[in-house]
Amino acid sequence: MSEEGTAVRLGQPRAQKPPAEAAVDPDVAARARRRRSRERNLVILLRVGVVVFLIVGMYLLNARSGNLTMPKPSDVFDESVKMWSDGTMLRGLRESLTVLVLGFLTAATSGILGGMLLGGFRLVGRVFDPFVHALNATPSAAFIPLVIVWFGLFTEAKIIVVWIAAFFPILISTASGIDQSDNDLVEMARSFGASRFRVFWQVMLPNALPSILSGLRIGAAVATVGTVIAELQMAQSGLGGLLSAAGNRFEMDRYFAVVLVLMVIGTLITGGLRLVEYRFWNWRASQRDANR
Amino acid sequence: MRTGDGPASSGARPPVTGPLISLRGVGKSFKDGQVQAISDISFDVEGGEFVSLVGPSGCGKTTLLRLIDGLIRADEGEVLVAGKEPRPGPDLAMVFQSARLMPWRSVVRNIEFALAVRGLRGRERHERAMALLGSVGLRDFANAYPHELSGGMQQRVGLARALAVEPKVLLMDEPFAALDAMTRETLRRELLLLWSRRRTAVVFVTHDIEEAIFLSQRVILLRPRPGRIDEIVEVRLPERRWELDARALPEFVRLREHLWDRIRNMVREGAELEELGTAFPDAVPPPDPPRS
Repeated sequence: MSEEGTAVRLGQPRAQKPPAEAAVDPDVAARARRRRSRERNLVILLRVGVVVFLIVGMYLLNARSGNLTMPKPSDVFDESVKMWSDGTMLRGLRESLTVLVLGFLTAATSGILGGMLLGGFRLVGRVFDPFVHALNATPSAAFIPLVIVWFGLFTEAKIIVVWIAAFFPILISTASGIDQSDNDLVEMARSFGASRFRVFWQVMLPNALPSILSGLRIGAAVATVGTVIAELQMAQSGLGGLLSAAGNRFEMDRYFAVVLVLMVIGTLITGGLRLVEYRFWNWRASQRDANR
Repeated sequence: MRTGDGPASSGARPPVTGPLISLRGVGKSFKDGQVQAISDISFDVEGGEFVSLVGPSGCGKTTLLRLIDGLIRADEGEVLVAGKEPRPGPDLAMVFQSARLMPWRSVVRNIEFALAVRGLRGRERHERAMALLGSVGLRDFANAYPHELSGGMQQRVGLARALAVEPKVLLMDEPFAALDAMTRETLRRELLLLWSRRRTAVVFVTHDIEEAIFLSQRVILLRPRPGRIDEIVEVRLPERRWELDARALPEFVRLREHLWDRIRNMVREGAELEELGTAFPDAVPPPDPPRS
């Protein structure tokens, strides 16, 4: 607006600094900020609206059809408080997280190492490709009877079930991330005389990291599902065990209290991994923006 | 076989008295020999010389560069760099049409990659990379990421990375083709300036005839399918061309006319330009009726 302002800015020496910060009109910036915060508030408001809608819906359904069809939200809350205070929930959570974390960690290590073999060595990749895809296409629950026969019903066996579920997505995205690495960059590295070893570790692997991370995110989600299925199908324990016990006795308020915890776990895990993905690979996010 | 250049060169590794790069009867085909990319190409490049390879698409310019770099091997004939079969590494460095920077590394770390391949470590490596960035005017951008730079700046980083390893030969594959006209002009002058200081031999591939004349001491004109040498032209323009507009000099005009004449001849002789032949099938006059 003011001509004085522009004159002063033009008089300044041109800044030779990376982020090309143009002199921004404060009015424009403030308006943009206001618009963004208005939108954010609207989103939060609508989300609260959805939650209120669900709670009211539960009350209505409960009033119409009774406790068996839908528990009262207040009962679910009371039951949650009880389960958290008498240690039931904590014990279940500890058991479930043990299976989930150990299963996921073994799947992540073995999946990434295996993927590096399949993606890094063409011959290995070509030989094992159909087998990997066949196993990946099989629902992991199909392996439960076999796992029971081989490893029994308890924690180790459940960890194996989770491992089977999470291993293949991680393996496949690691292998394909490495396999589809940027040929231009590989040729660049080779033209400078980089060894195969260096090309793999410093070019192909970092180039595949986004793909590996998204494999880990899928693996974590699948591992959560696998944990609950194992706990339902094998020796009942953990949150899955609580879930099935409450379900069998038609204690729907208790049942819902456990489901809520499972929801929170799933959201936290995938949300956390997405955050890691974003933090590490913000260059990729800005690349996407630039290409738009 | 090649005849000896010097009188009775003895010992396992004779002193390199001959040309720095020498190609003798080089041929290369792709797709299991179905496509002959280049055929019977012979030329020499002396140490410190600036040579351009010019020609329409499909005449194997990039193939020649990759042969000289040792990324691929010739099917026929012999390629020698400093008297030996070229291997990617110490003596050679490439600059590509796109900068081919690793997006997950900062600018200075991209340059350090090439230096690490040469075995430089720690402080020395970092300081060397910073010095090279200074020589292309990007010292302030050392910690920026490639996507934060403009195309011209990225290409400067690519050039700095190649110069960092102090190669005997700099191989450039249409390095300025993807840039806008003004940036291209600036970078050409900067390249000449750098070359005049360092006197690294340069083999510069381009399809821009004016660029080839402006930059080089010799222009090698190629004709397509298969790529062969059409003519080798000496450019007798004054040194320090970056200080004046060489385009207005009579010698420049004469060379440009001459080279364009040759290209027009190629078309007339039936070696139709690939772009014309495939992109506008209707625009090209139909082939002569077959004669028996």
